[in-house]
Amino acid sequence: MINELKHLEGFRQEVRGWLQANLPADWQERMTGASEEEHVAFQKFWFRKMMDGGYGAPHWPAEWGGSGFSFAQQIVLYEEIARAGAPRLILYFIALYHVPATLLAWGTDEQRRRHLPAVLSGDEIWCQGFSEPNAGSDLASLRCRAERRGDHYVVNGQKTWSSNAHHARYCLLLTRTDPTATKTRGISYMILDLQTPGVSLRPIKQITGASHFNEIFLDDVKIPVENLIGPEHGGWAVAQSTLSSERGLTILELAERMRHGFQMLLDAAQSPSPMGGRLIDDDEIRRRLVDIYARIQALRLLVNNMLTRVMEGAGAGVEPSIIKVYYSDLLRDFTDLGVTLGGANAQYLQPVLMGCGNETGNWMQDYLYSWAWTISGGSSEIQRNIIAERALNLPREPKLAGVK
Amino acid sequence: MDFHFTEDQDALVCALQSILQDHAELPQAERFSYCYFNETLQKILTESGFLDAGHDIGALEAALVVAETAKLPVMVETSATGLVAPMVLAGEKLAGPVALASVRNLEKAHRNLTIAQTMLVDMGDDVAILTIDPAQVEPVNSIYGYPYGRFVTPPDLATARLLVGQGAVLRQWWRVAIAVETAAASMAAIDFTVDYVKQRHVFGKPVGSFQAVKHRLVQCKAYAMATHYLAMRAAWSADPVHADFAACHAQQGVQKLLFDMHQFHGGMGVTTEHMLHFWTYRIRALQAEAGGVYGAAIDIADRLWSDGTQPVNLTSAARSEAA
Repeated sequence: MINELKHLEGFRQEVRGWLQANLPADWQERMTGASEEEHVAFQKFWFRKMMDGGYGAPHWPAEWGGSGFSFAQQIVLYEEIARAGAPRLILYFIALYHVPATLLAWGTDEQRRRHLPAVLSGDEIWCQGFSEPNAGSDLASLRCRAERRGDHYVVNGQKTWSSNAHHARYCLLLTRTDPTATKTRGISYMILDLQTPGVSLRPIKQITGASHFNEIFLDDVKIPVENLIGPEHGGWAVAQSTLSSERGLTILELAERMRHGFQMLLDAAQSPSPMGGRLIDDDEIRRRLVDIYARIQALRLLVNNMLTRVMEGAGAGVEPSIIKVYYSDLLRDFTDLGVTLGGANAQYLQPVLMGCGNETGNWMQDYLYSWAWTISGGSSEIQRNIIAERALNLPREPKLAGVK
Repeated sequence: MDFHFTEDQDALVCALQSILQDHAELPQAERFSYCYFNETLQKILTESGFLDAGHDIGALEAALVVAETAKLPVMVETSATGLVAPMVLAGEKLAGPVALASVRNLEKAHRNLTIAQTMLVDMGDDVAILTIDPAQVEPVNSIYGYPYGRFVTPPDLATARLLVGQGAVLRQWWRVAIAVETAAASMAAIDFTVDYVKQRHVFGKPVGSFQAVKHRLVQCKAYAMATHYLAMRAAWSADPVHADFAACHAQQGVQKLLFDMHQFHGGMGVTTEHMLHFWTYRIRALQAEAGGVYGAAIDIADRLWSDGTQPVNLTSAARSEAA
């Protein structure tokens, strides 16, 4: 992989120069303790700036307004974004990855023309309506019901863990259209306009105090039949396109941000120790710092290995599961060390930096937020099952007697 | 150490439980709070004498009161008021609730300061007793399951009443209190989680039927029970090394326990919508106090190996205790 990236040194310098010239130097200051409105406004500003520079939709085909960058160029771009400490475009994640992957594979021309340009204008934020209160890890158990009545579906049910739904206009929605079919066969995939009557949201308060997630309640919500993506009852296959859309670039960006963020731990370790001297003089602190540093190196190697496989056209295999477990455990220990180094002062509520990476130096917030990473996107337990069964070829967990 | 309650202890715990069951529930309006201090229950426990067990019966009985109350989702202050203060100041009752602090960080936020009438300050060799003027305390915004406050102006320690030579006693019982409270809150959090993983189904089975979950839950339970027995031993023996061991064990194991409890609640575990945080945030707050895990570990090493020549023979120490 390294050879491919070497050829892109010119491109790298170009991106680096653009970020230097365009990233507001005080953005972290401005977004620390920012309100939701300020956060949304800044995300929109930065996304549009990135679009103007030609970097906002690097993986989108040029015919749909994207940069049409090669995979290697995208790797370089995300390395540079992480290096510059630029904002993460959190609000646009679903719109930029899931929407094009889904619509370009399964959508109608009309759906593509209606929605893809609107995403790139920065006007339309999307959210995901997959998980339900009784269908998270076991997504195929979803029960949100859609009944066909003439030229529309009537939808009733509940969705949960929908990030940023309170800022979104559209939702990628999975519903059950055939309750008699086996679990994965009766599901349909639809575009939901969140301004439709019958849609209501409830924010969910997290242990950090913030509310990024929402519950979405759907009461007799009418969705036009033309908003169906892919075949009726064939939504499970469509969802696979959605979920395999970003090919490891997000984890690359996060791994790079963590690599640069390690300096924050080193800085914090220079603080005076309660026992005299500096914290870093303590053997145990040094051991923990080295442990984290070594694991960051290993993470990047795991990510490189996966990206190489993707570039070569081989499937990612179980690498995403291995990396997900590795990263989320590492993030927890990284931020835990931050809490240790920060001492009592790191434990009070402090203003949160909005739109940033997962390591900000607001250690208790970072640490508690890290706990979401071992749940979201497939819990660590589910990932370990996948690795055990698909990579190690271990047998599935036996069914328990008496449990149906 | 006898692992069974005496008749008196049994009566004490039963009487206490009958009171607690009427006040254990969180008001609906407080479900999303980080902390709910039940002032009514605090008053009842004070007036009915449960916080005097340390004076009237003994430290172990006071610890049992702490253990029972710390299992509640609502918060009442029993550990400093009912256990630490009576051990530091035998024969004299201080106005409660009592808060604890170290002179080294008096300017920082303190647990329970906003509800306290009295504070015991670890001055090193001695202990200062401060009467709290509520006008001199400002609340500090915190996610931990206790009310935190800070002094608006530094309290006047020069004129405070001093308990000469009681510093070590305060630190010892502070650690016992931390261990008792951590163990009890851990047990409550584990029970709450066990109930959840039995009810919650995934792939057609209760979450708790998967080995990935139940093996780790068992480890959590073992940790909590070990902490409980170490804490009770420290309350029973009044041995400072036992207090250090109990606190060290309680504070060291917290990280894993807290994470697993939240993890097994799935997405609900990263919200404040499922009550779990009422226990786990208190456990987390206790982890940092009285020197924290490093302080306790260093004290153990200093007490046991102070001459630096050879490690203490733990086997023989354990044998003499058993005898």
